Amino acid sequence: MDTSIVELINVTREVAWLPWAVQYFFLIGLSVGGLLLSLPGYAFATTFAQEGWRRLGRLALLVALTCGLAAPVALLSDLHQPGRFWHFYVVFRPSSWMWWGSVFIPFYVTGLLVYAWACLREELQEHGRVDSRLAALYRLAALGGGRDDRLIRATGLVVLGGAALVALYTGVEVAVVKARPLWHTPILPLQFLTTALAGAAGLVLVLNRFAAGNDRGVERLANRLLAGFLGAVMLFGGLWLALGLSGIERTHAEALESVANSEAWRVTALWAVLATVVPFAIAVARPVGSGLLTGLIAVHGAWMFRWTVFIGGQTVPKTGAGFYEYALPAGPDGLLGIVGTAGLWLFLLLVITAFLPVPPDPASRPMSRPLRAMAAE
Amino acid sequence: MSISPKSISRRILLKTTAAGGALAAFVGGFSETGRKLVRGAWAGERPADPISGNAPAPEFRVDPASGDIALNPDQIVANVACLGCTTLCGVRVRVDVARNRVLRVAGNPYNPLSTDPFLPYGTPIKESFRSLSRLDEKGLQGRSTACGRGNAALEMLTSPFRITTPMKRVGPRGSGKWEPIAFDRLVEEIAEGGDLFGEGPVEGLRSLRDLKTPIDPAAPELGAKVNQVALLSSVNDGREPFVRRFFNQAFGTINFVGHGSYCGGAYRSGSGAVFGDAKAMPHAKPDLQNAEFVLFIGTAPSNAGNPFKRQAMLLAKGRTDGVLNYVVVDPVLTNADNRAVGGRSDWIPIRPGTDGALVMGMMRWMFENGRIDAKYLSQPNGKAAEAAGEAGWCNATHLVIVRKGHPREGRLLRASDMGWVTLDETERYGAKDAFVVLDTDGKPVAHDALAAAATLFHDGPVATPSGEVAVKTGLTLLRDETMKMDLPGCAEVCGVPADVIAGLAHEFTSHGKKAAANAHGGMMAGNGFYNAFGVVTLNTLIGNLNWKGGTIVGGGRFPDEQDGPRYKLASFPGQVKPSGIAISRPVPYERSSEFKAKKEAGKPYPSRAPWYPNAPQLTTEYLTSGLVDGYPYPLKALVLWNSNPVYGIPGIRAAVEAKLRDPKALPLIVAIDPFINETSAFADYLVPDTVLYETWGWAAPWAGVPTKTTTARWPVVDPRTDALADGRHVQMESFLIAMAKRLGLPGFGPDAIEDMAGNTHPLERPEDWYLRGGANIAWLGKQPVPDASDEDIALSGVGRVLPALKTVLKPEEWRKVAFILARGGRYQNQAEGFEGDKATHRFAKPLLVYNEALGASRSSVTGRRWTGTAAWMAPVFADGTPVDRVHRPADWPFRLVSSKSVLVSAYTIAASRLRHLHPENPVGINAEDARSLGIETGDRIRIATPGGAELATAIVRHGVMPGVLAVEHGFGHKEYGARPHVIGGRSQPAVPEIGAGVNLNDLGLADPTRQGASVWVDPVAGTAVRQGIPARLERIAAAA
Amino acid sequence: MDRSRRNFCLGAGAVAAGAASLEPAPAAAIQARRGGDPAHRWGMVVDVRKCVGCQACTVACIMENDVPENSFRTIVSTYEVTERGKAGSTMLPRLCNHCEDAPCIPVCPTGATFQRRDGIVVVDNSVCVGCAYCVQACPYDARFINHETQTADKCTFCVHRVDAGLLPACVETCVGGARIFGDLNDPDSSVSRLVREADPKVLKPEQGTRPRVFYVGLDPKFQGKVDGTPTLWRPSAHADRAHAEKEHA
Ligand SMILES: Nc1nc2c(c(=O)[nH]1)N[C@H]1C(S)=C(S)[C@@H](COP(=O)(O)OP(=O)(O)OC[C@H]3O[C@@H](n4cnc5c(=O)[nH]c(N)nc54)[C@H](O)[C@@H]3O)O[C@H]1N2
Ligand SMILES: Nc1nc2c(c(=O)[nH]1)N[C@H]1C(S)=C(S)[C@@H](COP(=O)(O)OP(=O)(O)OC[C@H]3O[C@@H](n4cnc5c(=O)[nH]c(N)nc54)[C@H](O)[C@@H]3O)O[C@H]1N2
Ligand code: SF4
Ligand code: SF4
Ligand code: SF4
Ligand code: SF4
Ligand code: SF4
Ligand SMILES: [Mo]
Repeated sequence: MDTSIVELINVTREVAWLPWAVQYFFLIGLSVGGLLLSLPGYAFATTFAQEGWRRLGRLALLVALTCGLAAPVALLSDLHQPGRFWHFYVVFRPSSWMWWGSVFIPFYVTGLLVYAWACLREELQEHGRVDSRLAALYRLAALGGGRDDRLIRATGLVVLGGAALVALYTGVEVAVVKARPLWHTPILPLQFLTTALAGAAGLVLVLNRFAAGNDRGVERLANRLLAGFLGAVMLFGGLWLALGLSGIERTHAEALESVANSEAWRVTALWAVLATVVPFAIAVARPVGSGLLTGLIAVHGAWMFRWTVFIGGQTVPKTGAGFYEYALPAGPDGLLGIVGTAGLWLFLLLVITAFLPVPPDPASRPMSRPLRAMAAE
Repeated sequence: MSISPKSISRRILLKTTAAGGALAAFVGGFSETGRKLVRGAWAGERPADPISGNAPAPEFRVDPASGDIALNPDQIVANVACLGCTTLCGVRVRVDVARNRVLRVAGNPYNPLSTDPFLPYGTPIKESFRSLSRLDEKGLQGRSTACGRGNAALEMLTSPFRITTPMKRVGPRGSGKWEPIAFDRLVEEIAEGGDLFGEGPVEGLRSLRDLKTPIDPAAPELGAKVNQVALLSSVNDGREPFVRRFFNQAFGTINFVGHGSYCGGAYRSGSGAVFGDAKAMPHAKPDLQNAEFVLFIGTAPSNAGNPFKRQAMLLAKGRTDGVLNYVVVDPVLTNADNRAVGGRSDWIPIRPGTDGALVMGMMRWMFENGRIDAKYLSQPNGKAAEAAGEAGWCNATHLVIVRKGHPREGRLLRASDMGWVTLDETERYGAKDAFVVLDTDGKPVAHDALAAAATLFHDGPVATPSGEVAVKTGLTLLRDETMKMDLPGCAEVCGVPADVIAGLAHEFTSHGKKAAANAHGGMMAGNGFYNAFGVVTLNTLIGNLNWKGGTIVGGGRFPDEQDGPRYKLASFPGQVKPSGIAISRPVPYERSSEFKAKKEAGKPYPSRAPWYPNAPQLTTEYLTSGLVDGYPYPLKALVLWNSNPVYGIPGIRAAVEAKLRDPKALPLIVAIDPFINETSAFADYLVPDTVLYETWGWAAPWAGVPTKTTTARWPVVDPRTDALADGRHVQMESFLIAMAKRLGLPGFGPDAIEDMAGNTHPLERPEDWYLRGGANIAWLGKQPVPDASDEDIALSGVGRVLPALKTVLKPEEWRKVAFILARGGRYQNQAEGFEGDKATHRFAKPLLVYNEALGASRSSVTGRRWTGTAAWMAPVFADGTPVDRVHRPADWPFRLVSSKSVLVSAYTIAASRLRHLHPENPVGINAEDARSLGIETGDRIRIATPGGAELATAIVRHGVMPGVLAVEHGFGHKEYGARPHVIGGRSQPAVPEIGAGVNLNDLGLADPTRQGASVWVDPVAGTAVRQGIPARLERIAAAA
Repeated sequence: MDRSRRNFCLGAGAVAAGAASLEPAPAAAIQARRGGDPAHRWGMVVDVRKCVGCQACTVACIMENDVPENSFRTIVSTYEVTERGKAGSTMLPRLCNHCEDAPCIPVCPTGATFQRRDGIVVVDNSVCVGCAYCVQACPYDARFINHETQTADKCTFCVHRVDAGLLPACVETCVGGARIFGDLNDPDSSVSRLVREADPKVLKPEQGTRPRVFYVGLDPKFQGKVDGTPTLWRPSAHADRAHAEKEHA
């Protein structure tokens, strides 16, 4: 403990971006990641003409949808005046990345819904063909059509643009905050993106285990992707550290300095390394049979990264000595909020899979690809 | 995969349940968001203004171009006094009239305690408003301030822990259960007594007011039974004369005591020894405005210190724009220091309770290096001094009889001893009996007969009619004392290196008269009296008293409570002259019957408990001796007004709590206080009092202001205490008036106050007293104050009390008193503080290098004579045993000291805003000590002393002397809300944070060398010991 | 480079770390200002040599502005500093710097935070959505979310008093006379004179915010994030608000 300067009187500041923000950035990241992972199997199905990509894409789409719908709700909650959310839309504030965010999010989410609809239209149509009380509903939802690869690709491209904007703004919004050296790094958006992809791959692995009959092909593919993303995570993490240690860039050095001497931060760093290296190693060494484990670690890693950036970052005083203490409140501003968002996500997952189960119910199992090909001929 | 319908329905059930659970979690998590959404555009509270929120509209507007003032009709701006601490600054409060609320507090620009330079007294109120504004940056130049406490103190008005209704305890004493009772019944029960609590008969004040029957027929000197009623008070908050009128003059008890003995009494007594008055204990303060070097030893200006704000203000200015350099000698680094001024402020750590060694070392160096002001010191009387261009004089040259066994050993040689005069018994050795000095030729002469310097040093015989007597000059005696220990020896004791001691002495003597030494709370050690005597003697040695830049006694005040010039407030027909011996025995033991009896028995010493002839009345003895031991006689009723000894005196709780709880030991305790404090929690009756800005009074600074100053207190809001049928409120004054009337005491009631023409006036309401006091103040000085203009009255809020002014005062009086109230007091103009280089208000009597009363008196415990000059004495218990010999440093390696919190005073804990800014008082421990004990900042530690043990939080510092534990004072409360009381069956809110931290006083010691109950006190001054308490320390747990 | 562009570009170099210049803000930024009298540019000089750490300013600010409990628009950080074995006290009054190039403004997605033409940076609590982006962007921890209003809060330079020809609450009650407030546009004002003559510093000059609160006598160790043992202060668990009746409600 450094006693050459002792703060006798000072106060601490509370975090102003609450766990809600962590949840938002986590969910929106996973959504973007899921969306990206869904593209090969859907929008670029012709390029990635592999059944594995499609099956993975189906799960990724589920990730993108559930997380993409839950995320804005968390974001709304992080506003202390949620009832004023419309204030964003009556001004033009191009200097604020958050304002851009308020434009991008609805664009992305709308795009995501349309794209997902386009992707799932085929399934809807098929459900509509089964004799059930909901058949009419399914038919209505399918708008009387079926698979339309051009539509999927077109909407896919649009939502890819939306996702890119979201990935850009979520990263840059934080990275421009010069007041926080830990945030103020051009690497941060890339870290957000790569951890989001890893998290999304992880969630695909988890869903594959629980909601999709544990498809080995999907597991192998997802684990490979995961390993790749984790590799990227390591790369950017290493880069950040190298910049900090080299002292070439002042902000990075400052950022590193601000946490280097803290026991808690060292533990966090170790944890982060383990949460990256361990699933990476497993995914590489044993891509089949390890999916649940690697998936869970990856999801947790993506969350942890955001927790550390947002909550941890805000406990670094800008002027005062040491660190502000943070204790997770039990209520909506803390634990209950986290559980609440998880609940929302789970609810969405259950509802969607109830209507559009993966893999589809045996009774309504769609024609297999070769069959469909035959039928088309 | 085969899926049975059963398993499907189970899966559906499972999924539905999961979905339900998830939904529930969602709803719970987003409840707050939902609630906010429902509230729409204002999820929070809607403040008054989109930009400035809930800030109230300004009190007035000042046009930056024209200086025109536009008033805010909803508010008044009034000049009154703060009582956030004992400084009693003049402040300006903004009142929301409609809501009867004080909005904010700042300084009164007419008041020297808040402003420098302060406004000329004649300045119209309107101009004073301008002086506070941005207009021509006047508000920066004449800034008038309230400190952190002062800004927060208004919370006391509306605190949920304030009591507003008279209360009587239900259940045992101290149980925290009360029932409100009607005012009349309160007065009746306390007056008449009876079986008040179903615990047996309690004597009421009526029967206790027995002015004739001696308490102890065998010891008539103790006085009549009326003395068994005691009043404990604190500081004169501007109302003490009223309370004294009741208790001393009307009721007739001698036992009326302030908090001096646990405030800075040791310093005051040490100063009293130099200023020659052990009862009033005059003291001087450095003239911070002009001093070039000030040595603060055991006082921390701008951290605490009195006057807190004025000292802080002048210190800041002096060290930055002015000529001031200063050093603070203190075991603890405080806000008295500021690194940004470079070497101009310095902190020197010292071991607690060793200041005597430091200052004796400094004096030794001064003697050895000829750095004393011989010109000043050698003047034998005032006239000679004046002729020599001095601003005062001292008795350094007066001869002291030093022959061992001489009947007058330790006394000053007198003209009558020399046979120069013959005086009868009553006059001999009195004021007419001159002292003897040697002229420069070595010839004895009467001190007042010499028109020039006398011999400064002499050690030898003088011929007297009754033979040769060995004598020394006072200064020789002092020099001898300083030679007892060399500088390395002093350094060894106090932990200040010898070269630093020499350096301090060199610096102190390098500025002529523009240097000063000062002390206060740091003297409250087991040897504080002599330490303080030493510090003040430093000033004597450079002859700085009454000099600009030196030390000044200050201008004093315009007293309200004297006889005239308008009303006789000091005396009244039928008044009692209290007599007898006060509980704390502030008289020579040798005059007591106990002494006589014991002498006859052959062993006059020790007395049963110490007597303190060289001290004023001492609260430190009231609860131990008076309550627990009944020595010299038992108390039967105790009234607490404005005081809290159980919180403020180290070691007292352990010594007296059991007896305080026992109605048999002390049948009646009445507390007059706006809060339930640690002492009044044991009361039988609580009388709510007004606070701060609800109250009348005429307050004054302790010292430190060169000009005459009296600060007015007057009610700018309606008191929140209960209103009585006639519109008066329950408060100290209405209680005492009602009591006096019920008991038929003189001095109160319809014809209680006489004017100078002999007409009588009533004393039925507080205004009857205070406004007439105001009239006295108005007519003091060369000429009466001017009449207030209508504009002054309109702008100053005095309109509020105008009806009272007009009712109580004569037509020629009320505008003058309004003039005073509008300005929040009466103030001599700043320019009149000095006449050339000398203070206008000077201390004219001699300073004592040798104090005869002290040097000739004996400890009533040991029978040994005290040293009559400054001296080094280790901290001791009553029988002279050094503390270290009883509580060995090997067992108790640490020393506890107490420093005031810069932010709070003891009772401002009621102000939540201060508490939230500084919620606790971690105990300071030196970094080296901490390392060896494995303690880190934030760790929980256990501090044990021979008097108790407490858990605390540690803060590791370099700014604490090794071996010292620094406890900030003002925390560790057990009352004021720390524990909720139940009043009429309803519990107060529970705010355990009020009890945060530790109170050093819960760790204070008893005196193991005394019989009976005791707290450790200085043996001469009888003052509570809160510095240098032996302690040990252990680490309990890591930071939470 | 204009303000918004700079904020778009990551890692844009700090404006030259010149300590205390009165260089005005970029024209675009000035154009965005509204309200207030452009004839003035309010600023403060804090002479830390005069500060006695009494916190009169802190409490006056709370009382004047009804700052919620456990929140502070200003605070006087008080440190014990030991150099070469010698310990001393350092006081550092902190408040919003009313930056000439305030990073809290461009990030605000609603325009609730804006700068008046007299330089005072304020928040319109009827517009603010409480997103706390500005709280993150202020390099001085000068902002917080007001839990009563649920909007961003900070020092307003007591704009309501300044507009009334008075001094900010913290200035008028500053016991040590350390806080000096005035018009930087007026070359004869005390603040202008001190900025010219007393070689004052600003906090975190490398942030390029061009603060308009200047410090005389400040040890450079305290210009940025302080490196030492942190305060033991914790927000009080108990919101006394419940029973301490609201003064200004
Ligand atoms: N350890 C340690 N002990 C100390 C000190 C220290 O520094 N350290 N300081 C010492 C000093 S210097 C002093 S002066 C004493 C102070 O000790 P005390 O003189 O006993 O005074 P306080 O503890 O300030 O309590 C004063 C009481 O007056 C009440 N009061 C306030 N305003 C009013 C009013 O308008 N009317 C009435 N009737 N009552 C009012 C308050 O509620 C409180 O109960 O403590 C001493 N004790
Ligand atoms: N902030 C604040 N100011 C106040 C008050 C308050 O409650 N709070 N109360 C007012 C009152 S009632 C009074 S009496 C004055 C008292 O004002 P001060 O006398 O200035 O204050 P204290 O804290 O009692 O003691 C002064 C210093 O003595 C140091 N000290 C302790 N032991 C020793 C020792 O053995 N030797 C030396 N040299 N120093 C030692 C302490 O660390 C402390 O810093 O303050 C007044 N002003
Ligand atoms: S010094 Fe004491 S009396 Fe003066 S304003 Fe501060 S608290 Fe009030
Ligand atoms: S100090 Fe912070 S809040 Fe104030 S203007 Fe600068 S950036 Fe904005
Ligand atoms: S919290 Fe309010 S003022 Fe701050 S950036 Fe968000 S909307 Fe703007
Ligand atoms: S200027 Fe006003 S709002 Fe700002 S710190 Fe001072 S008192 Fe608070
Ligand atoms: S009021 Fe002035 S002297 Fe007191 S702490 Fe604040 S800035 Fe410092
Ligand atoms: Mo005191």
